[in-house]
Amino acid sequence: MEPALHIQGLRKRFGGLPAIQDVSLQVMPGERRLIIGPNGAGKTTLFNLITGDLRPDAGSVRLFGEELLRLPTQQRIHKGLARTYQILTLFPRETLEHNVVLALLGLAPQRWNPWAALSGYSALHAAARAALADVGLGERAGRVVAETSYGERRRLELAMALAQKPKILLLDEPLAGLSQEERQSVQALLTKIPRDVTIVMIEHDMDVALAYAERITVLHYGQVIVEGTRAEVVADPRTKEVYLGD
Amino acid sequence: MSRALASAVALAVALAVLPWILGNTFYVNLSSQILIYALFALSINLLSGYAGLTSLGQAAYFGGAAYACAWLVNRVGLDQTTAACAAVLFGTGLAALFGVLSLRASGLGFLMITLALGQIVWGVAYRWVELTGGDNGMRMGARPSPLGLDISRPMPFYYFTAIVFGIALYCLWRLARSPFGASLRGTRDQPRRMRMLGYHVWLVQWVAFVMSGFWAAVAGVLFVYYNQFVSPITLSLQQSAEVLLMSILGGAGTLAGPIVGAIVITLVKNVVSSYLDRWNTLLGVIFVVSVIFMPEGIVPGSLRLWRRFTGAGTAAPKPVAKTS
Repeated sequence: MEPALHIQGLRKRFGGLPAIQDVSLQVMPGERRLIIGPNGAGKTTLFNLITGDLRPDAGSVRLFGEELLRLPTQQRIHKGLARTYQILTLFPRETLEHNVVLALLGLAPQRWNPWAALSGYSALHAAARAALADVGLGERAGRVVAETSYGERRRLELAMALAQKPKILLLDEPLAGLSQEERQSVQALLTKIPRDVTIVMIEHDMDVALAYAERITVLHYGQVIVEGTRAEVVADPRTKEVYLGD
Repeated sequence: MSRALASAVALAVALAVLPWILGNTFYVNLSSQILIYALFALSINLLSGYAGLTSLGQAAYFGGAAYACAWLVNRVGLDQTTAACAAVLFGTGLAALFGVLSLRASGLGFLMITLALGQIVWGVAYRWVELTGGDNGMRMGARPSPLGLDISRPMPFYYFTAIVFGIALYCLWRLARSPFGASLRGTRDQPRRMRMLGYHVWLVQWVAFVMSGFWAAVAGVLFVYYNQFVSPITLSLQQSAEVLLMSILGGAGTLAGPIVGAIVITLVKNVVSSYLDRWNTLLGVIFVVSVIFMPEGIVPGSLRLWRRFTGAGTAAPKPVAKTS
């Protein structure tokens, strides 16, 4: 079977600092992959290389066999890539519904229309409200983002990505900054995501992350040092070494 | 929807009866001038307000179209309609080219490139005497007669200007609430996220740049009809800065803001200046006061204060980026 995401020999240096060194990994369709590693291991840099926020020095990133590196970010999104941010990146003065509408519009040719009223696209707004309802924000659709809680904004991040019906979803610490209670509710949402979405997740909360992911990649100083199933990775002495220090 | 229709009708009626109330030719001409500057301010507001791209070179498309129109009618001898279309096309094309050059940068870099490009156009008009008449400027000759109507006198010209202004305002109102308008505001607020949602941020900004140039060029053609004369001052940095101030003073990112800004500044320049020698100082005071009390501009600021006084405004202020 063709991997959903196939990364080969990816390299990125920031000046003299190698951030990603020869990373190769394969994520199969429908897989839940967890990427862990200490601070500065290169996890978010890896995401930025996949999305095109950064240009790699060498390597290849293929989405279902198609090379992404030649494409600008927005075209990668049209190929079925979506991402959430660790640091919330929302439209704070707009309503939750408008945020999701913007996400839906990003993939629709109507985004270029300078004449029709946006409010007239009822299907688009219905889809946005449905996406919000899926993450438990159905009743908050009309609120302005600035008036919502942090936990609600985390879920909005997720709703915007899921509304685009991506083939592959990159989640950058979807639980960051949430209370124990909120973590569980977001975790339940993550579990509900259908299997036709392949998920690659960066997460520090080991309890949640380990329970969720099927395969785990450990990054350290920009290199893959361990990769395998949950049990394999947990048992591997190199994992302990990275996390407990030497 | 019905509220929008009601305001449109009210505005149309107000524009129609205004010259009858004013009576005096001076004030009718002043009203035409205000409408031309209001359109010019609306054009830059598309960039500085909705797209968040502050430009100091907007006079290039305004003055460029004005020069092109005068030159085509006077020197080439084209008929008025062809000349007007070609002049608007010239201004828009200039914006398309300058957009490509200046959108390589953002923020202060964008500001400086638009400033430099604007100064180049000004320099051409000032120095290339054979083409432009240099410091002496260029005469237009006569106003056109669209559909055979004579608009050489102040009153008909005012109505002609008001109709063009009304069409422009309607187009911009539609734009502000359209999907493209939403995309544009999105690229202003979160360019990185917009890219990540599938938007071609550069292209969205460039299209807005070209649209902005188009409306500035339309205002420029009206301007040369109004004055029947154009000189390098029309292309100057002062002109670009003034129109930017109009849009910021009134409220960037709103439709009513640039219009109010154009009214205030044009009135101070033309009316107050005949009573007050230090009218520039007064303009400065107006800016300072508005920046202190209404940093978001006169229109959104007044709405906010109004809500506070009527007691409805204890909740968080509404977003200002909506059409008002």
